[in-house]
Amino acid sequence: MNTLARLTPAGHAAPSLDTLRDFVEHEADLLDSRRFDDWLDLYSHDAVYWVPAVPDQADWISHVSLYYDEKHTMKTRVARLKHPMIHCQDPPSTTVRVLSNFGMEAADGDLFRVRSKFLMLEDRPGADRRVYGGRYLHTLRFDGTCLAIVQKCVRLTNCDQSFPQLTQPF
Amino acid sequence: MTYSKEQLAGLVQTDRVHRAYYTDPAVFEAEMAKVFGKVWVYVGHDSLVPNPGDYYCTTLAGQPVVLSRHESGSVHVLYNRCGHRGAKVLSRTRGNARVFSCMYHGWAFRPDGELAGVPMRADFPEDALREARAGMEPLPRVDSYRGFVFASLDPGVMPLIDFLGEARKGIDELVDRSPEGRVEFAAGCHRYHFRGNWKLQMDNMADTYHPAAAHGSTVGPDGRQFQRRAGDQGGAALFFAPNGEAVVSQLGVSGFPHGHSSEQSLFDKEQAGGVWDDYRALMVARYGEERTADILKNRRHSLTLFPTLDILIAQTSVRVVKPIAVDLTEVEIWPVRLAGAPAVISDDLVKYVNMTHSASSFIQTDDLEAFERCQEGLKAQGSDWVLVARGLGAEVDEGDGVLFGARSSEVGQRAKHYAWRDLMSA
Repeated sequence: MNTLARLTPAGHAAPSLDTLRDFVEHEADLLDSRRFDDWLDLYSHDAVYWVPAVPDQADWISHVSLYYDEKHTMKTRVARLKHPMIHCQDPPSTTVRVLSNFGMEAADGDLFRVRSKFLMLEDRPGADRRVYGGRYLHTLRFDGTCLAIVQKCVRLTNCDQSFPQLTQPF
Repeated sequence: MTYSKEQLAGLVQTDRVHRAYYTDPAVFEAEMAKVFGKVWVYVGHDSLVPNPGDYYCTTLAGQPVVLSRHESGSVHVLYNRCGHRGAKVLSRTRGNARVFSCMYHGWAFRPDGELAGVPMRADFPEDALREARAGMEPLPRVDSYRGFVFASLDPGVMPLIDFLGEARKGIDELVDRSPEGRVEFAAGCHRYHFRGNWKLQMDNMADTYHPAAAHGSTVGPDGRQFQRRAGDQGGAALFFAPNGEAVVSQLGVSGFPHGHSSEQSLFDKEQAGGVWDDYRALMVARYGEERTADILKNRRHSLTLFPTLDILIAQTSVRVVKPIAVDLTEVEIWPVRLAGAPAVISDDLVKYVNMTHSASSFIQTDDLEAFERCQEGLKAQGSDWVLVARGLGAEVDEGDGVLFGARSSEVGQRAKHYAWRDLMSA
């Protein structure tokens, strides 16, 4: 459960863009803090976390994706991130994400689609610094009390290139 | 240093290989000529170029090549190099064009490589333009097996079918899973790289000893790995028995002539339930019950063709390994669609390969970590040798040059090392 989302009083009107931005920035902060269980809790049971592998990729069927996680796969991913035998995170990565350029892409009933841009640094002892950047598109559901992420789509500027091991969700 | 034939042969002993095998740039340079210049190397699948004018650009031994489909329907493998000044002609990975045009001076080539047009042609001596090398030249030898196109830089290479030998059955076992006997590379590929030698990845494909330790983070409390392929049954592999014994390490490995290898399947059940039952009915209609049961049997996890192709039978996909430098390797993973199977079967394959073999996957990430740690550790001078002795002397000769080793024998890795030694010392 997200504390920021709970600040919105029950039965209140649709959340403002400021509220949605706070929520999305909070999500990024949880990842930077490696609070993976709390991060997972932001996602609805029917959520999809998706990072396409080619620009303008329309779906996750016609082409492979860098990440395509339904909720149960997200749980496996988080369980592994916390597992003592995840060698590719021994030692672990440190990340920082900087978000900007928020805007409301669409609003329909209880669903809100919020766009933003991000840069992410990933450092790990012994590895080269990695810099990722691109666009986030969050589809958020507001049930009158809480916000939840229904879909997060991450379009990386270099999505169609070769990658080293990817351990951190973007 | 420069190596003599004898010194190159000496890098591979019966039970161990020298660290220079993985770390010395001079060895890497030598193997580009003596290994990649002498055998059949996989280029691409013909479904990547279904229509006349289609092309797919890739590399073979670091050289730019293109797989193309000519107007007549024939498939070609050409050097991606203009016959005029040598510029790389095609710069996009895939596309379609009536002629392939060079951006530099406008020379144009047909999809079979023949020179089609030269601006201001009359000013050239006509003889020079009539030579085959004025076009985009074909590789010396090109052949295919069930849609998998191979090429060789050596005009005198043995026939492809002989090079594949018994190992061709791994391709059959993948392709026969289609009710039409045909696979399509129709969902793009994963691409990742690691700072390590290409042979570290190849060794790993004949290594059933590593999963218990390297992939421990993928196993749940019930001793099974996460569900790594679709189906209500047959999707989660048992790694550890209730008593803690590593079941996964019991899997056997086979070594084949010419450096090919295969691993026994991880899975103990046929994929079943839901649409998999519909799929099975289609297979029975095409092949009959007995043959279908044989095709769908969990026989092999993978079949690896020397030097750099891996048929991931359990994951219904294909891995291509591309050596870039002695300590840099790029890998592609192509999920295949099974022609004639329910669409959801192939759709699920795309999803599951994201989990198992993408750059972000649960399995591959720890393999890459292992490869990079090997490359780093092999800088140490404590011992010059890497041990590959597991199961040595306990192999079972299955005929036709195939050696089987139980309990995660390293027989498949030795087959690759010995094939490499034979080529490098020639």
